[in-house]
Amino acid sequence: MSVAFSDTARGEFELLLTRYPDKGAVILPALYLAQREFGHVSDEAIVYVAGLLGVSPAQIEGVATFYTMYNRKPVGKYHVQICRNISCSLLGAEHLIEHVAGKLGVKPGGTTPDGKFTLSLAECLGSCGTAPVMQVNDDYYENLTEASIDAILDKLP
Amino acid sequence: METILTTHFADDGYRRIDTYRRFGGYDALRKALSMTPEAIIDEVKKANLRGRGGAGFPAGVKWGFLPKDLSRPRVLVVNADEGEPGTFKDRVIMGRGPHLLIEGIAIAAFALRVHLSYIYIRGEFVREAKVLDEAVAEAYAAGFLGKDILGSGFDLDLTVHRGAGAYICGEETSLINSLEGKRGWPRLKPPFPAAVGAFGLPTIVNNVETLADVPWIVTHGGEKFASIGVEKNGGTRLIGVSGAVNRPGVYELPAGTNLKEIIYTHAGGMRDGKALKAVIPGGSSTPVLRPDEIDVAYDIESMAKIGTMAGSGGVIVIPEGTCMVRALSVLMNFYAHESCGQCTPCREGTGWLKKIVGRIEAGKGRAGDVELILDLCDNMMGRTICPLADAAVMPAQSFIWKFREEFDRHIGEQKCPYGNRF
Amino acid sequence: MPTLTINGMTVDVPQGTTILNAAKEIGVEIPHYCYHPKLSIAGNCRMCLVEVEKFPKLQTACSTVVTDGMVVRTDTEKVRKAVTGVLEFILIHHPIDCPICDQAGECGLQNYYMKFGLHKSRYALEDKVHKKKVQDIGGQIVLDAERCILCSRCVRFLTEVTGTQELHFFNRGDHSEISIFPGKPLANNYTGNLADICPVGALTTKDFRFKCRVWFLKAFDSICTGCSKGCNVDAYCKGDILYRLKPRWNDAVNQAWMCDFGRLTYKAMNEARLLTPFMRGEGGRKVAAWGSLLPDAAFRMQAAAEKGGPDRVAVIASPQSSNEELYLLRRFAVELLGTKNLAFTHRVEGDGFSDDFLIQADKNPNSRGAQLLGVPGGAAFDALVSRIKAGGIDALLVVGNVIGALSEEETAALLAKVPFVVQVGTNEGPVSKAATAVLPSASVAERGGTFTNHAGRVQRFRSGFPARGKAKTPIEILASMGNRLGAGWNFAGEASVFTAIAETEAPFAGMSYDSIGMFGQEIGK
Repeated sequence: MSVAFSDTARGEFELLLTRYPDKGAVILPALYLAQREFGHVSDEAIVYVAGLLGVSPAQIEGVATFYTMYNRKPVGKYHVQICRNISCSLLGAEHLIEHVAGKLGVKPGGTTPDGKFTLSLAECLGSCGTAPVMQVNDDYYENLTEASIDAILDKLP
Repeated sequence: METILTTHFADDGYRRIDTYRRFGGYDALRKALSMTPEAIIDEVKKANLRGRGGAGFPAGVKWGFLPKDLSRPRVLVVNADEGEPGTFKDRVIMGRGPHLLIEGIAIAAFALRVHLSYIYIRGEFVREAKVLDEAVAEAYAAGFLGKDILGSGFDLDLTVHRGAGAYICGEETSLINSLEGKRGWPRLKPPFPAAVGAFGLPTIVNNVETLADVPWIVTHGGEKFASIGVEKNGGTRLIGVSGAVNRPGVYELPAGTNLKEIIYTHAGGMRDGKALKAVIPGGSSTPVLRPDEIDVAYDIESMAKIGTMAGSGGVIVIPEGTCMVRALSVLMNFYAHESCGQCTPCREGTGWLKKIVGRIEAGKGRAGDVELILDLCDNMMGRTICPLADAAVMPAQSFIWKFREEFDRHIGEQKCPYGNRF
Repeated sequence: MPTLTINGMTVDVPQGTTILNAAKEIGVEIPHYCYHPKLSIAGNCRMCLVEVEKFPKLQTACSTVVTDGMVVRTDTEKVRKAVTGVLEFILIHHPIDCPICDQAGECGLQNYYMKFGLHKSRYALEDKVHKKKVQDIGGQIVLDAERCILCSRCVRFLTEVTGTQELHFFNRGDHSEISIFPGKPLANNYTGNLADICPVGALTTKDFRFKCRVWFLKAFDSICTGCSKGCNVDAYCKGDILYRLKPRWNDAVNQAWMCDFGRLTYKAMNEARLLTPFMRGEGGRKVAAWGSLLPDAAFRMQAAAEKGGPDRVAVIASPQSSNEELYLLRRFAVELLGTKNLAFTHRVEGDGFSDDFLIQADKNPNSRGAQLLGVPGGAAFDALVSRIKAGGIDALLVVGNVIGALSEEETAALLAKVPFVVQVGTNEGPVSKAATAVLPSASVAERGGTFTNHAGRVQRFRSGFPARGKAKTPIEILASMGNRLGAGWNFAGEASVFTAIAETEAPFAGMSYDSIGMFGQEIGK
């Protein structure tokens, strides 16, 4: 079962090709496009992107599995990534992680049965001044407390 | 105190080009285009502008590494892959003052005769990438990027390029490989990027803050920049203070400000009335300091003299009651997670260190484990293609050297005296 | 020409030489895994760290280019500890597979462990990262990801040599793994080389799996007979059975590589061999003695030529014969039988596939040699077959196992038109089933000689063991038959035959086994 970019995505892809002297540079942006278009970076997505760029699927798989933000497996509607690095840990990240795990009923790495939340541990998100911090899909949430996390997660549709 | 970067960061509109220009934005670019490239580079050298990414290499010297021969196009790549734990200043610059960066890029590109530039921004900074995209579009529309900038005949293309989650891509050759669409593996050096870089072309990689400083240097002169700060470290630094302080955040201070002052005056001192136990001064990869070691000037030379580094300007404040073994375990997990896996000592060593420290924290440490850690550190330090192994080794060594009794206690008592908790 | 000092010894090397290769010049072995002379420099294993004066850190010898006046030490305590440290890191996740691993005896880890290791493991067994073992990844290869030391030689080979890139690194850190994309196995004709370049038992060949311990094997120089490329090979045997072929380095022909088809050509030397002389008769085969069958065959050929004229006898040569054998065969046919009915057949295998790397469309090692020695092929062979079909031949000498692309039935039908057919062949096949007399001959592993490859390079192959069973070398057979017919030949072996060739055959003028040496010699040069 093969997949293909929508016309919009294809247009973005073609535009990207004009910004770099070498088409290989489009691999990372193309994988983001694929993730947006197909929900996650599936085997089919990899074969498709490889075909677009004229390289082997193994090469694209090598790139896709190197970077943490490409999901080779589907994630929930909301990917809750809580930083567990030093500054966040000093300010209680461990407790927050336990709290969210309990609230959602999943262990870090797991997805809720209704597919709404995937809980992951993240390394430093680069906002240590407002620790503890988490990223849900594209958005940062900072200065977290148990109460504020509850409010954030409960409000997500 | 004169601020160079953050002067208008409180104004939300500063990220828009009209507000930026109202505050004098892009005047420096106009001035630079009337100078010679050599003159600009000269000012930057006079400014003692040290790289603000962590390595502290003099920017003017690095710029001089590009070949004189102009037959091959050159590339300027901005390292916005801010990933060093404890560091969060570039995010502030890009989020609040994106045009500062763009103007700095344009001036640098003109000085370096570069017509192709990229901002490589870490994938997680989605919001900042959007802000930059919008700012870049504004700059193109206003004629500060693109063809024949301000009628000078100088062309420059700038593209925002997102990373996808890898700390190692903050290393300049790994970043270049990632930009080329590959796994973020650092390259053997030589050749250096100025000779063979992105797409095989001569390339300069500079940190966000380093380039953001350039417009002010052009406006006010390198000497004035150098006069703020100390002898070999000119200008201000954006210092991020995090951890157990009352006012965590980014503070713009002259290089050479006292570290104790940074923590207690600017960041408001220890929170919850706790005593200070330790400070990691320049991002997690720098050797830790005890409380009796923090009365020191925060500049590159002074920090090196006491056996640590100013690094990327990330001050992590650790309060009493923190288990240093547990803290080290967090860091060892980090480096093992981020090791790219290319070369043997780092790939296997970071994983091994993580397991040993984890075991000690879990109360299952064995006699000889501490000596083993130190021996592994010796076998990793300086043996690898890039400094990530060194970055893992420095906290491991310094935590053990300065807090040895905590490790011994964990092993002797076969438990964590702090209850396996932060 | 920079001059450098290594461990106190001075050596002059060409500009651009790395420390690793400079050290090799003077017999100093610097341990390494990821470096391979035919692949790009990776510098990732870190085994080749050495001390270089004026450098604060140890440098990798594989990637550091020599400068004039450089002072290098590989024998200091610092270097020894560094190398042992790297080796320890490589071994922490390595499975203790030696007892069941094909690589044992020629394993980079075993070899360096004995030299630089000999340490007890400091790593807990339960901490070992486990990866997938015994994966059939296509081609000739089995992958064991757990044994892999991630040196990247295989990835570089598939990128730089075949360009097919089926293998790549996945994941990161100590969970890094080299593998194929699911469903996209190795799909090129050179997969066997991956097992050669893998320093450990991560990539091994299916064909050799569990067959034999390498320390029981003997290697001897040979030439692959799979096509006219003439890739140089090392043939490995235990006693008189062959176990594998591996490429032998020759920059002028095959660099360090060979194709997958060629790699398996050794099997024909082991299987379905003709090992006793026999005559076909009523009720099956009748084993005969050399002493009677060989002269009998010679005389019957001669008798047919005398009775019906030389035009009534024919000789089908083989492009798998050596230059020496073809020379003798031509002389037998032309001088002793007086016939012009001489042509070489061709083995048709595969689909005449060729590529721009090693594989040639002509699947025979010595067509060029045959032509240069006055034995035509192509149209001449077709004409000869027509003649036989038309019933115009009374006695036929066939060297080889097949006649063109004829099937068993077609061969039987063709040879039924010839009252006397004598075969000099190595394997059972269409000819041995239909020939009147069969003289079993030695395979390429059991005799010596030279082949001329497609580009005119004359290369030597050597015997690894005496001919199996009762087989004899074709030189022996042909010289003997010739002498029965009064040739008066005094050839003691292949060298003496080649000397004769060099004296009288213009393309080979001035050549000798000496001038051919280890890497061959082009005709006319």
